[in-house]
Amino acid sequence: MVNQTRIRPDILGGAVLLFILIMFLFQDVLTFEAAPSAWINVNTIFLGIVIEAAPFLLIGVLLSSMIHLYVTPEQIARWMPGKGIKTLLPAALVGTILPLCECAIVPVVRRLIKKGVPFQAGMVFLVAAPILNPVVLASTFFAFRNQLEIVYVRFGLAFVLSLVIGLILYLVFKNKGPVIRTRPGEVHVHHHHHHEHGQGVAARLKEICSHAAEEFFMMGKYLLIGAFIAALFQTFLDRSVLLSIGSDEIASVAVMMGFAYILSLCSEADAFVASSFGNQFTPASISAFLLYGPMLDLKNTIMLFAFFRTKFVIVFMITVTAAVFAGVLLTFAVIS
Amino acid sequence: MSYAFLRGVILMGFGLLILGLVLSGGIVYYIAPIMMPFIYFGMVTFFILGAVQLFQDKEDDHPQPWPVYVLFLVPLTAGFILPERGLDSSVAENRGVQYGAAAHGPGLQAEESESDTPRADSYLDDPDGYMEALGGTEEEEADEHAPLDYEDEEWFEGYYEELFETYAGADEIAVDEDTFIDVLTLLDLYTDSFEGTEVEVYGFAFREPDFDENRLVAARFGMTCCVADAGVYGLIIDSEEAADFGDDTWFQARGTIRAGTYNGQEVAILEDAELEPIEQPDSPYVYPGYQ
Repeated sequence: MVNQTRIRPDILGGAVLLFILIMFLFQDVLTFEAAPSAWINVNTIFLGIVIEAAPFLLIGVLLSSMIHLYVTPEQIARWMPGKGIKTLLPAALVGTILPLCECAIVPVVRRLIKKGVPFQAGMVFLVAAPILNPVVLASTFFAFRNQLEIVYVRFGLAFVLSLVIGLILYLVFKNKGPVIRTRPGEVHVHHHHHHEHGQGVAARLKEICSHAAEEFFMMGKYLLIGAFIAALFQTFLDRSVLLSIGSDEIASVAVMMGFAYILSLCSEADAFVASSFGNQFTPASISAFLLYGPMLDLKNTIMLFAFFRTKFVIVFMITVTAAVFAGVLLTFAVIS
Repeated sequence: MSYAFLRGVILMGFGLLILGLVLSGGIVYYIAPIMMPFIYFGMVTFFILGAVQLFQDKEDDHPQPWPVYVLFLVPLTAGFILPERGLDSSVAENRGVQYGAAAHGPGLQAEESESDTPRADSYLDDPDGYMEALGGTEEEEADEHAPLDYEDEEWFEGYYEELFETYAGADEIAVDEDTFIDVLTLLDLYTDSFEGTEVEVYGFAFREPDFDENRLVAARFGMTCCVADAGVYGLIIDSEEAADFGDDTWFQARGTIRAGTYNGQEVAILEDAELEPIEQPDSPYVYPGYQ
């Protein structure tokens, strides 16, 4: 069926090998200097995001592959006892010690849910882990040393909102069947792994690597698309348009959330970008930027749609958006 | 049917792309030095995964249609073929240049490299052990930072007061990449004290739309992790030679600091400056969090 329209893998592989070798060896000669400078800017930002995100995506797929190959659903059930809403709090606590950013978290969460972690707990990880981790804490602290309330709000609200989001998703989807898409061609291959357990460290490592390599391509294609769109916005969007609404209490929160979504920054770096807005934006809108971006952005939305049911992703996006928006406005109404 | 060989080639290609950028020094256009340990980890991992794929003969677990693999050739081709170049003033215009005041946030991160680099290293040496260990170190880290919470205001003032002592009374200040953001912040915080000081600074030429022909900005992109987060910092310069320097040309300026206003804000302005064209420096960016 499909096989007939396929290009023979070995021929394609050989051609690509030659192509890459030529580019690598003759890159100085081949450089296309005449490219328009706007597109060189797009390319620079695109490659910057891809090269920076790649190591973290690799960590994510390696971890996911280890879980896939060597963690059984029974073990998961032992580590995460309880059902329903009882899983939310432990999930948020585990999320705080997992040092995974938003590039790495999607493959891991998808894998955990496939292995039997309740989806509501998985989604708590997904929104909590990219913010509640030590590296992000340090960078936020350094960027907002002279505005510590933003640091407290970011980490306090991230914890609370992750629970709220998990709870809402649980209530909406508890009786609606699986939230993950099952992809054709994937179902039948998942039984053959566990018999290889006893083969020693080298065989295990090889198996993890080969699984991680496949998963890198599965996840990476969404990263590439997201990074490219983000690079377009980064190059052509005039930020003074945003600044003109920066001082309005409510509109600025909405604008900064949209901005965080489009920029798709790594949660480890977003605090510095936020601090560069300086006094032009309200503390509430800066906090919204710092909370929303790691939970939901352009590059991970594309991954989410690929791996979770469409309806679930839409409800997830609405829930996260509403929770961050309301949470930030409420918090600042109380503390100021 | 397996695409393992093709995957191996592409993974190796990513490893080669990063290796090439590291060898040529072009990596500075994309990634801040503080992130390099992660980039090396990524490069080595690409080579290892690629090598495993080249010699793999089992069926694919997650078959992908071949166009997916072609998609991965886009960043590879772009990376090898398109010129490596820093961001230019059109991006600076869209992002907005910071003249002083707003720059003091990132200017404070001098310490960050101390706390982050060892962490990145330990992550590299043993990612799993590092992750496990984090549960324990988190508390210690909170303790380590806690005293700063109470004195951060003083710390902030102290840092710039101390820096001010270093520069105050100097007849002239030469600004280089390591001091760019710090000195610009000082000039903004203590504009009056620095009036009359000779300052030498270099950057690329940038103009706001409302500038007259004698005015331009010596601008630098400040990068924290990667170019996506780069912000623009600059010093406003008045010079009769300004018109000779087109946008994005690199120049050195030498002039005298005066207090002035721009857009209703008090800013330091370098007046009566002599301008001289220079080559683009090796590192086109400045790094707020790295010294």
